[in-house]
Amino acid sequence: MNANLNAGVNADLKPPAEAVTNVIIAGVGGQGSILTSHLLAEAALHDGLEVKLAETFGAATRGGSVLAHVRIGPVWSPVTVEDEADAVVALEPLEGLRIACKYLKPGGWAVLNTHPWYPVDVSVGRARYPSMQEIVSALEQLEARVLTIDATGLALQAGDARASNCVILGGLFALGVVQISEQSILQAMEHRWAGRERLLAVNRLAFETGKQEIAAQVGGGERVGPLSAETPC
Amino acid sequence: MNELSTLQQGERILMLGNEAIARGAIEAGVQVVAAYPGTPSSEIVEELLKNAPQAGFYAEWSINEKVSFELAAGAALTGARALTAMKGAGLNVVMDLFLTLPYTGTRGGLVIVVADDPDAHYSSNEQDSRLLAQAANLPCLEPESQQEAKDMVKEAFTLSERLELPVIVRSVTRLSHSSGVVRTGPVERPERELGFNKHWELPFRWNVYGPPGAVEKHAWQLSRMPLVREASRQSAFNAVRRGSRPLGVMAVGMGAAYAREALRDMGLDEQVWLCKVGMAYPLPEAHVLEVLRGCERVLVLEEGEAVVETQARLLAQMHALPVGIIGRCSGPNNGRWVELGVEPAAEPAVQTYGELNARTVRKAIACLTGAETPANPERQRIKEQIQPLVIQRSSTLCAGCPHLGTYWALREALKAAASPAGKKAIPVINGDIGCYEQAGYGVKGQEPAPSPAARKRYHSKSPYDLLDTLYVMGSGISMAQGQARSGAADLQIVAVAGDSTFFHTCMPGLLNAVWNKTRVTFCVMDNAWTAMTGHQVCPATGLTPRGEVAEVVHIEDIARSMGVKSVEVANPYRVEETTAAIRRALECSEAAVVVARAECILQVVRREGKKPTRTRITEACEGCKICIQLGCPAITFLDGKAGIDELLCVDCGICMQICPEGAIVMEDGA
Repeated sequence: MNANLNAGVNADLKPPAEAVTNVIIAGVGGQGSILTSHLLAEAALHDGLEVKLAETFGAATRGGSVLAHVRIGPVWSPVTVEDEADAVVALEPLEGLRIACKYLKPGGWAVLNTHPWYPVDVSVGRARYPSMQEIVSALEQLEARVLTIDATGLALQAGDARASNCVILGGLFALGVVQISEQSILQAMEHRWAGRERLLAVNRLAFETGKQEIAAQVGGGERVGPLSAETPC
Repeated sequence: MNELSTLQQGERILMLGNEAIARGAIEAGVQVVAAYPGTPSSEIVEELLKNAPQAGFYAEWSINEKVSFELAAGAALTGARALTAMKGAGLNVVMDLFLTLPYTGTRGGLVIVVADDPDAHYSSNEQDSRLLAQAANLPCLEPESQQEAKDMVKEAFTLSERLELPVIVRSVTRLSHSSGVVRTGPVERPERELGFNKHWELPFRWNVYGPPGAVEKHAWQLSRMPLVREASRQSAFNAVRRGSRPLGVMAVGMGAAYAREALRDMGLDEQVWLCKVGMAYPLPEAHVLEVLRGCERVLVLEEGEAVVETQARLLAQMHALPVGIIGRCSGPNNGRWVELGVEPAAEPAVQTYGELNARTVRKAIACLTGAETPANPERQRIKEQIQPLVIQRSSTLCAGCPHLGTYWALREALKAAASPAGKKAIPVINGDIGCYEQAGYGVKGQEPAPSPAARKRYHSKSPYDLLDTLYVMGSGISMAQGQARSGAADLQIVAVAGDSTFFHTCMPGLLNAVWNKTRVTFCVMDNAWTAMTGHQVCPATGLTPRGEVAEVVHIEDIARSMGVKSVEVANPYRVEETTAAIRRALECSEAAVVVARAECILQVVRREGKKPTRTRITEACEGCKICIQLGCPAITFLDGKAGIDELLCVDCGICMQICPEGAIVMEDGA
């Protein structure tokens, strides 16, 4: 037997799973879920943490369900185990329901953008889009701590609807689930939008808005954020 | 991220699996790179193309995998280090040379990266390329992490040169499309003597027929096998960790990543043996035998087919070891382990289709150790209760996609079509691979066509259930000819393909139809890009893969030069024009081609920016839902009326042309 036989496997025994934080970013293709996961991962790496990322998207370039797993800490698998995600943040409410239902742990956080992106299944009349109230109460039955936020509206106010992912990222940061410094996240954003001052400014503002909105909801003692009044369909 | 070629040695960088593979090639001093894009492999050569000028090597997108593999092989014969990368299905396209090149071997390192897609995330099958590595008798490395992906690709070049054989590195979606931290190594720039030597080391080395002949050359390859097995034995990518119980896990590729985490999380690190296999073919026999001798039962965790499992079983049999090997071929039945071939009712320890995941791996390990898997039936019950709310999100074409116009026109043209026998024709639309294949995905919430009788009416309510056959690159145009020649008289036969697919494998099929005078309508949707895999260039783009301006290759010119008499070009954003063109093609008695040409809308919007939407739905909307049948994701239907999603709509104007009430208008631009 050659000398390295046992070294290869034993050398990287890692500390226990308690040190792992699992976050999933859910959305629809084109909303920036994967970009958000990369910002988070770059920040974690900058703070000296271990990180694994996995992205899953359908065959289509746009319009399908997209989810990005961000696993921070000592892990080998890039994909979160079902019922073990610490937080699911969603750029689209139905995708939040879909992913949180599968992956969120009891007591985990679900942060949902309230702006729906209707699937073609709804438009052709073959499915009914659930109301925000139904989505929230379904997840609460699974012991999720649900927060809702009009990320698309806040992003538009910040200057660009596409920045809704940074609103959500701000919201995630405000929860304190991920032990990453704000400075590192902002640095990752600066790196991403280097040389594009306007986009950087819009996204920084979006991040700040999302952070304050969720901080207010959590700090205000409200377990569930304000629901939007309209019930789609 | 900084460009891969500018990274210094020893940097810690978050890399996508495919980026890590590309970095491995750069570190190995690769000289020639060629590939055809295919998810989940495309980023490998995308990255290498970006880095080629700076790092000083040649890279290209080729017309198809066959060309790219043969090109890379040609480069390796001159002594250059060459790499080709492809998705699992791409390997099928290269099979001819793939099974023959090993008889002569290569001179420069030749590395074939194949990214398989268990769970068929982006593919029409779940094939396991390691079976083909076995068929070709070529060594196959399989990484478990991004770091290992980089290191293995680098090592594969060295190995290839030492063995004088091509080496395969097998990735899977979960590795290629996930990211992890990679520590970079030094970039080698070895001095290599490039040139062509007809009799390099052996007579007529690069001519499989040349003396002494193909059989002798096959014997030469087999004579290398002891060297290959020794390379597997010595590979640092294999390792064994002993456990206190006579139970073992043999884990390969991503299976190893899941196994390590599951063993830790289940507190079994000290108890269960772990044999990490880095070379999936041929197996590192010493490592495997150590585990098979030390254990009473060994669970094999691998992505795809039972490739390592069957090799391990063979080894156990050859050495008459009493160990039980479990995985995809055996499983528990009433407290006993049984072979599925003997008792088919038993469940395999590892599911025989789909991909591994942390949950199935934990379950299989619990199965091995006899532990209980914790279950929470109440939570499961709530989840099932919630499921009806979790409606499907069927995949669609993009808002404003030119294919929406083409498919609308195709449906309209087919409504009026008569069969060759003069009766109302049953249309058969043969699909192909590209964005337009989504016309075969169906709307998941929708019931499939209930009966053959219902199928006779052309009742499709969306473009997403249009395609009647859909398999692989280039199969549509040829299958169509079989239908036409089958004797079925009431069919109206159509094939569709995109521009990149046309160049990839449709040209022989079209020429075949012309030569054999077979009646078929071929609709080529030319959007100027290989869009689905991430907008790579193709001959219709007007650019080389390296960004130089190139002559646009016009599909209508190729069709005419092949002898197609009826060739028309139509703009899919003009629905009537395209419908008329397809209608004329359907009336032809021989092969007819319609090129529906408009650039991919995503590329147009990327270049020109998204402008505020001017499309409006007026009070005239009666809620007839005709526009919904267009299948455009920017058209919504709420409270009995159509609506426009302004975040998505790009003012393509197709819906305006199809609304029977004229209720969709475009406001004047500012």
